Parts: sequence; structure tokens; C-alpha cells
Amino acid sequence: MAPQLQLGALAPGPLPNSTEVYPPTRPGLAAQGAEVYRSLGCAQCHTRAVRQTQALYGARLNEVGNSPNTLLLPGLGGSDPKPVNLDLLLALATIRPDLTIAPLPLPPALVGDTNIVARLKQFADNVALLKRNDTKVGINRPTSGPSVNDLAGKLPAAVFERVSIEAGERAVKYLSDAGAKAELTFYNLGPDIERGWGARRTVAQDYVNDSPVLLGSVRVGPDLASLATRAPEKFAAPWKFASTNTAAEFERHLLVHLYNPRVLAKDSTCPSAGYLFNKQKPEIRAAGEPLTVPGTDAPVFPKHEARALVAYLLTQRVDTGVAEAPVPSAPKAVPAAAPKAPMKP
Amino acid sequence: MTITQSSSQSAYSSAPTAAQVESACRFPVLFLAFSGGAWLFAGLTLAALASVQLYNPTFLEGCPWVTYGRLRPAAVNALTYGFALQSAFALALWFIARLGRVELSSPLGLAVAAKFWNVGVTVGVLGILAGDASGHDLLEFPLYASLPLIASYVCIAAWALLALHRRAEREMYVSLWFVGAGLLWFPWIFATAQSLLLGWQVTGVVQAVVAGWFGQNLLQIVLTGSALAVLFYFVPKIVNRPLANPGLTRAGFWLLLLIGGWGGLAQLASVPAWIPAVSGAANFLVLVPVASLLVSLWQTVDGKVVEAWRANVTFRFLLVAAGLLLLSVLRTAFLGGQSTQYTFFATARTDIVLLGVFGLSALGALLHIVPRLTTGEDELPSVGLTDLVFWTSLLGVVGVAAGYSLAGLVQADVNMNVTRDFLKDGIVASAERWMELNLSAFGYLKLVTAGYAALTVAALAFLANFGLAVRRCFVACCGGAR
Repeated sequence: MAPQLQLGALAPGPLPNSTEVYPPTRPGLAAQGAEVYRSLGCAQCHTRAVRQTQALYGARLNEVGNSPNTLLLPGLGGSDPKPVNLDLLLALATIRPDLTIAPLPLPPALVGDTNIVARLKQFADNVALLKRNDTKVGINRPTSGPSVNDLAGKLPAAVFERVSIEAGERAVKYLSDAGAKAELTFYNLGPDIERGWGARRTVAQDYVNDSPVLLGSVRVGPDLASLATRAPEKFAAPWKFASTNTAAEFERHLLVHLYNPRVLAKDSTCPSAGYLFNKQKPEIRAAGEPLTVPGTDAPVFPKHEARALVAYLLTQRVDTGVAEAPVPSAPKAVPAAAPKAPMKP
Repeated sequence: MTITQSSSQSAYSSAPTAAQVESACRFPVLFLAFSGGAWLFAGLTLAALASVQLYNPTFLEGCPWVTYGRLRPAAVNALTYGFALQSAFALALWFIARLGRVELSSPLGLAVAAKFWNVGVTVGVLGILAGDASGHDLLEFPLYASLPLIASYVCIAAWALLALHRRAEREMYVSLWFVGAGLLWFPWIFATAQSLLLGWQVTGVVQAVVAGWFGQNLLQIVLTGSALAVLFYFVPKIVNRPLANPGLTRAGFWLLLLIGGWGGLAQLASVPAWIPAVSGAANFLVLVPVASLLVSLWQTVDGKVVEAWRANVTFRFLLVAAGLLLLSVLRTAFLGGQSTQYTFFATARTDIVLLGVFGLSALGALLHIVPRLTTGEDELPSVGLTDLVFWTSLLGVVGVAAGYSLAGLVQADVNMNVTRDFLKDGIVASAERWMELNLSAFGYLKLVTAGYAALTVAALAFLANFGLAVRRCFVACCGGAR
């Protein structure tokens, strides 16, 4: 009874800060594909559930910010002047004892600016103080290698990656106190996510539009919960998009896989669904485009069921964050080049 | 033969004799037992064909009816509803008739209900093969097959419970506790699960929770309970001693009913974390009732194991089944969590309970019951075939259990380790690996096929022996009993 009381009233709901409803309703063809998926027993070998073993945090530096100690210094080689936040450099050096801190020489053009000269003098003193403190608490800061100046020079910069929430929050506090704009980031971790099978763990909310709910219990094949967002290089047999029409290409790839899985992945043990394809052009108007299978001459014609199944697979996306399982906002953390599910009439 | 089970030997003047009891339950019990054996054969054949496709995907390619995704659920459901539950009904009727010393009334009507059960199972298996599977583990039969199953079950169970009510031997022996619990438990879980999944269609993952709850109750309470009824009937009878520890047995029985149904969701993902946590705890707790029941049996048989093993073929089946029962709860308790999620390790559990714990006990019991109801002798006509049934079914169960479990462990290692290639190290390797060796000819999954094949031979040998007994019975004009 308790699961029903807790979960039975789940319904597609609005996402925070957006007008979208999650999970979205499946388009008609994909809904028919769900029936093909059930009928062929795909769930006997494929799960649709992404697991996550842990979540770690990080700190990302987005803007140098505007503190009293932010100076406009010309870059190396006389390029355009860049804002340099001296407090930020000191804060970065404090939280990252593995990086050097480079001295800031006085640009010849600014020798006459007494304000800048004083600030840089103060900065040099602070660096000396920091280094003295290092020796006192036993930090062996390297003398060469990457410096905090480099880190702050290329934004947005990941100051910390995959650390505890305490370390992440501490870093964000230091950076914010220095006047910079920093944010706490997080990383969904686990073998499934690292395999590119989804951006986060799946939760009950993901399945409220399904009936029957085919979670699957054995992985004889890869997980399909987020097949539509899987990057081509994350497949068992990695491939590449040849053109910019990634949606059509993804669909073709899946159709070929259904027709004969061993054309694309030599070791696949997935049974062929050749019965979902016509060898001859069928005598119906909606015959659809022929499919050329690599290694064969004559094209085949996918039946309606094959197209429906592929349309269903292309609605399998776990890349929307929900309250209990958010998705990292970093553009790099989300698998790029995710094709949109084709919307068919 | 003395009935050591009944605590009071007081004979009622009106109570029927053993011969009358057996003659009344003969037809329905034999019908159910034979149909069960036939479904065992059919289900194992389907399972063997399905298992070949796990490493040889081009096998039976080109026809959707025999693709793995349909063969495997068809096999599991044929074994569950065709073999296991049907044999459990046969055993239940026989236990009620024998232990309650009661004549079944109008046995022919009971056989008609049993026939309908078989029709339901046939329609269901064909429905799955045609693509109408519901998609829920152990509940794959489409609704149009489930309804005749429920109708037929109501008849069979009502008949059995009425007979139980009319029993002459008022004191209920342990076996009858398990039989009665199973008869009442099954309609509850089956009707609940079917109405929630196929009728009412609860939302989202609650469906998976309901299906998992049903599967666990079916395997751990109904079928394991039926196996325990067999154990508690035959073990004291074979060693000719009274049950050693009735108090411990009673505690074990109630604890099993209380705890047994809570497991089964330990590997469910995408649900609130407390569900798998509670389930995992229940998987541990169920060790207590199982251990107490087995301890009670062990105290009964203490010191006479070797003697009984040599003397009685039924005892051999029961000893192996009891060992497998202990093994199956231990492996689920210690390895049934996250580590083996989504691997064949979990698949193995269904097969161990269906074919090992229940299957071996039922076969052992039927090897005792069938000859008594047909030829009136103590053993089936062919001793050679009986031995063949034992050794092939033993090898088969061990092959299936070990093959799936070891393949599952290979997979679990790959699942948890992102540096290993999912397809090559996990799936292909589980079919081509044997311990540390790479053998393309004989891997874990191929061991599973061999196991199913051996079990198929066992089912055939059992049916042949059964047929011989029935033929002899007819030749001798039904043994003079009817």
C-alpha cells in the first residue's frame, strides 16, 4: 500500500522555472512503438533505468568580478587590457595549494599611476605573506607549472571537480568573498552515467506516462533509458554523424540496427528484427523511404512497426533535471549533439 | 505403512480407509500431475531454445514468434503456471485427502476445472508467443488468459478447501498448514496483481512494485511453501520418526508468512530508496524462518541421512531440494542487492525456486504418489527411468543455477566497472568463459542450455514412467480399485 500512497498520484508536472511539462506526452507513432517494444519483449534484455552511485561537487568560476582590487592591466604582448582581480588570485592560491601564483610585474605603460603601483606593491606583499604561511603550515607549493593566474584567465574555469560538498562550498565562499562570481557545480557519477547511458539516475517521475512500465531486470544489451541522448561515440560500436541532419541519421542508424544488429556491432547478441522490414517495395502509398543496409545491395523497406519502434526509442531521453535528480548545468557535462526526437504526423 | 504425521491415531468409525481416499482423489490428482509433467517438458523446451539465442542470436532468426523476448517469458510462465502451480494443486489435493482422511467429492468436476486451467495456460503461452505479453515478470499472460485461470482456480481451491473443511482427521499436520496457506495466498496475490496491473493499471513504477511483490510472494510463499509441505510430509515418513520440533516448525511457518513476501524488490531501481532497503532487509530476515524449518527437519532425520538416501529415491530429491532452498535464500540475502542488479544472477533465482526447490520436491513427491494411485505399488514401473529422472534433473538444476549465477557474476563485475567493455567483457564473455579460461565452445550460458536440456530429458523420463504406470494400471483393470 505504501508505494501506491507515495507514488500512485504522480502525474506529469511542470518543471521548475519553465513552462514545459515533464515527462512530455509521446507523439502517436512513438506511443505505437511502445506497444511494439512490449510485444517483441525487448524488456527481456534491455533495462530502462539509469543508476547513479554517488554525486560529487565542484566549484566553477564564471566571472572575475568587480572588487576594489580589480585592476585593468594590459595583457602580455600588449594586447587589450583585461581586468585582473588581485583578491581573487589570492583566494584561488589559498584554496588551490597545488598551483603556483605568478607575480604581477608593473606594466611599463602604467608606471605613473600611483594607485596601481600601490595596489601591486600590496599584492606582492600579500603573496610573500601567503608563501610564508605556506611554509608555516607545511604546504609545498610548486615553483613552476600551472598558476592561478592562468586559471583565472580562462573563464568559465573549473576550480574544483569531483570533490565533497564541503570543499565545493568552501571554494565558492572564498571566491565570492573575493568579489568573483562563482557557482557550486555537481557531478552525477556511476558506471551507467560514465558509459553515456544518461545524465542522471532515473526516478519514478520518468515513467508516469508508461503503461505497462517496462523497467527490465537483466542487461543483456545496454540500457535504453536515454538512448536518444547517447552520443554516437558511446555506442558499443562507436560511430560518427556524417552530416548535420543528426535526427535522420540517428533514425537510420537504429533502423539498420533493428534490421541486423551485427552489421553495426559485430559482437551484438541482439536478435535481428528482419521481419519488421519488407524486401520489396510494398504496394501502399505510405511505403516510406527505402533503407540501405551497409554490406547489402538491395534496399529494404521498414514497415510501420519498425518506424514506430524507432520513434519510441528516440523518445527515450533522461536529460531533463527533476527536483530529486538534477542534471548538471555545465555545457560540457551533458552529452553534446543530442538529436531531437523526430516528430512525425 | 503407518502415518507418522497424525498426532492422534484415533480412527473415526466413519472415516474412510486409505484405499477409499486414494480412489476418490485418483483421477484429478493424476490428471493434474500428468499435465504438470507435460508442461514441464514444454516449458523446458522453450527455455532451452531461448537460452541458445543468448549466445547464438541467429538461431531461429526471422520469426517474431520465437524471438528471445517472447520465448523466455513463454517458457517461464509455462513452467510457473503449467508445471509448478498445477503440480502444487495435485500435491495439495493429495495431502488434503491423505492427511485429512477425506474423500474428494465428485472428482470428475475437479478434473474439468483442471482442464480449464490447462486451457488457460495454453492460451496464455500462445498469447505471449503471438506478442500479447503483458510485460510484467511472472505475470506475462494476457488478460484473456488470466480470466479462465482465475475461474478455474476458484473451482479447484474451493473444492480443496471444502475437502479440508470436511476432513476426518481434525488435527492439522504441518504440511496442511502450508497447503492451506498456499491455497488462500495465491488467489489473493494473483487477483490483486492482475487487477492492479491489467485492470486498474496503477500509475508508473507502482506497476513494477506490484509485479515484484507478486513474483516474490508466488516464489517464496506459494511455491516454496508447497515444497515445504512436501518436505514435512515425506521426511518424517521416510525416516519413520515423528516430527522432532513442532514448536520451531510453527514459529518458522508463521514467520515465513510474515516476512517471506517482503523481499523481491531489493533490485528495483527508479523507486524511492526505502523500497529496496526494506526489501533487502526482508531478504536477510527470511533466513530465520527458513533456517528454523530446515533445522526442525534436520533434527527429525538426524543420523539417518545416508540410510534414507540409499533406501528411498524420494528422499534424494528432497535432500537436494532442501539444500537448494537454503542456498537460494542465502544467495539472495548476501548477493541479491545492488551488486548483482540487472544481471543473470537474479534470473537464476526464479529458475532455482521453480525448478530446483519446488521442481525437485514435486518430482520426488510425485514419484511416490503416482505409483500408489496407479499400480498400487511403492515405486514406478521402471527403476532405471526413475534413476534417470533423478540424476538428469539434479544435473540440470545445478547446470542452470550455476550457469546463470556465474554468468551473472561476470556481468556484475562489468556493470560496476566502466573500464570494462559492456558487450565484449560482459555479454560475450559470459557465454565463452569458464573460470579463467576463454572457451568459445563452453561458457556459463552454454552450461544453462545444457542444464535445460538435461531437465528436458528428466521431464521426458518422468512422463514415460508415468505412462508406463498408467498403462499397467489399465492392463490390470485399474488395479481393481475402481
